[in-house]
Amino acid sequence: MFDLLDKLALGFQTCLEVVWMIDPWFGLAIPVPLNLLLCFIGCLIGTLIGVLPGVGPIATIAILLPITYSLPPVGSLIMLAGIYYGAQYGGSTTAILVNIPGEATSVVTTLDGHQMARQGRAGAALAIAAIGSFIAGTIATLVIAAIGQPMTRVAQLFGPADYFALMVLGLMFAVILAQGSVPKAIAMIVLGILLSTVGSDLETGEERLTFGFSEISDGIDFAVIAMGLFGFAEILKNLESPEQRDVVKSQIGSLMPTRDDMRQSLAPIFRGTLVGSVLGILPGNGAVLGPFASYTLEKKLAADPSRFGKGAIEGVAGPESANNAGAQTAFIPLLTLGIPPNAVMALMLGAMTLKGIIPGPEVITKQPQLFWGMITSMWIGNAMLLIINLPLIGLWVRLLQVPYRLLFPAIVLFCCIGIYSINNNPLDVYLTALFAVFGYALMKFGFEPAPLLLGFVLGRLMEEKLRQALSISRGNFATFIQEPLSASLLAATVLLVLVAALPSIQRGREKVFVE
Amino acid sequence: MAIEGQDAAATGKPDNSRFNVEVAGGLFLIGLAIVGFIDTYSLKFGQMSGVGPGLMPRVTALIVGAFGMLLVAQGVRTPGQRLQGWSLRGLTFVVGAVILFGASIRPFGLAIAGPIAILLAALADPNTRLKEAVPFAIVLTIACIVLFKVVLRLPIPLAPFALGY
Repeated sequence: MFDLLDKLALGFQTCLEVVWMIDPWFGLAIPVPLNLLLCFIGCLIGTLIGVLPGVGPIATIAILLPITYSLPPVGSLIMLAGIYYGAQYGGSTTAILVNIPGEATSVVTTLDGHQMARQGRAGAALAIAAIGSFIAGTIATLVIAAIGQPMTRVAQLFGPADYFALMVLGLMFAVILAQGSVPKAIAMIVLGILLSTVGSDLETGEERLTFGFSEISDGIDFAVIAMGLFGFAEILKNLESPEQRDVVKSQIGSLMPTRDDMRQSLAPIFRGTLVGSVLGILPGNGAVLGPFASYTLEKKLAADPSRFGKGAIEGVAGPESANNAGAQTAFIPLLTLGIPPNAVMALMLGAMTLKGIIPGPEVITKQPQLFWGMITSMWIGNAMLLIINLPLIGLWVRLLQVPYRLLFPAIVLFCCIGIYSINNNPLDVYLTALFAVFGYALMKFGFEPAPLLLGFVLGRLMEEKLRQALSISRGNFATFIQEPLSASLLAATVLLVLVAALPSIQRGREKVFVE
Repeated sequence: MAIEGQDAAATGKPDNSRFNVEVAGGLFLIGLAIVGFIDTYSLKFGQMSGVGPGLMPRVTALIVGAFGMLLVAQGVRTPGQRLQGWSLRGLTFVVGAVILFGASIRPFGLAIAGPIAILLAALADPNTRLKEAVPFAIVLTIACIVLFKVVLRLPIPLAPFALGY
């Protein structure tokens, strides 16, 4: 216990660290709490993109990757994390005021949140969403801090075969939790793995799938794929379906929730946090499912379920807490095992690799200030978000009036600058254009791009571990079922497939996504 | 593939084409799998002591192809949603803007490539008004120069013809 407090203290120390920077104009040295500043910037950008519909956290993190090149590793990861959980806050603002989910995770908030806004209680809805998110964020931070170390110890027992089996299990989870058709989700993951093999071979250095372009012999940069599929292809999709914004014109109302509101919301906030934290750790769409699960739970528990959909405050408090908790616990697999559970975490892994940090169990022991700094920054960030969101709500509402016809050309330029800056090479820009068309085609054929990105990032790791495992066992594939850990993980995968194939579960899946 | 998007809805035809989204998606996957399989055909699959470079790409290409066939089979059996038309306007201008940026960034720098990319991309939206888009492009480019060149000091060319960098 004291050990944990010690570690958290180290985290706070990292977050509050002061760096002396030379200002570019007068050459004066100024003390800057750099990590704190980057945390704030991350939360601010996160709120911004959360508020703006049509700009998601995946695209934003991809766009901002080049910005982090000139930043120290801890600071850049703190900022990128801030963008992710900040977007969860911002997304609720749009959901409540405009009836458009700013993020996929705030879809459910539109149901009751927007109804509350129409009844003139937007202020209370926004406040409850923010308070719920803060409480959830605080608890989730403690959960990560508590689970982190034991998980890392378990991870250190993992051999290559076990890692491989764990990734197979994780990808299977991702398939089951994915939206829409199961065969399509599997196809996207495997296609992602196929794309990850582009470039020269790990061991022999032979060129694979490069079609004679020596520029991609290091493999396709994952930022290129992410920006093509999530930056540009999203724009193409949005241009096809002109949005309708139904901004609440009436007063936002008092930002202070009444005592009654608080009393009704408190239990849903804690239940939502629990549901969100558990689902957030799961691979794939876990963080997105949290709010849905929480909404269903609250509706089931309510004395009068008919109030839901007509402005029930529990329908805002629960899901909003769940999405924030999930956004944070999603970091657990990445930070402890080095395995990203979803597309956003895949980007975080990319950012870490760019900084020369190999994510995995070693991070916590070799770079404790990175691990604990990131965790405490999440709590500090949550406190900042409370301040960014509530008093500045008027500013965010005004931002909503920025039309998409101005927004998307700006995104195009940011993406272009970002991609060019990866290697200062125009070829990356052309390659991204290619992936934009590819991503657009995928959407037209009804495929989701998120599993592809996850497969792409895990692919390299999987191949590496597979080959390590097989060279240890001298090419004997039986090693995967002889090692107890890997055997039980693979058994769990098979079990999962069987359970998912049960008709009752399949119907359940459909119901969750229809609702 | 420039079938107009809303035709199925507009003409009131039932959405039960046999060449539907599933079939098209399946064929797309099969095509990708074939490319992946053929290109890695010459690589070693593996020997007793371990796995060669060809294993992963070829196995994954096979799986992708298999799922492609599954989708085609499913789609042909149960007629479903027709393939929607591609919006060529969006594709042309957005992708065109990106390619033009790539082509012009080295010779002309951000000062020229920036506004061109913004304006070209803006044309993808029929609601764009030049009166609004031109000043916006200029202001945004200046903002980007301040952010990326001055604050973050990325080595992106600014205006090589005039400044030399």
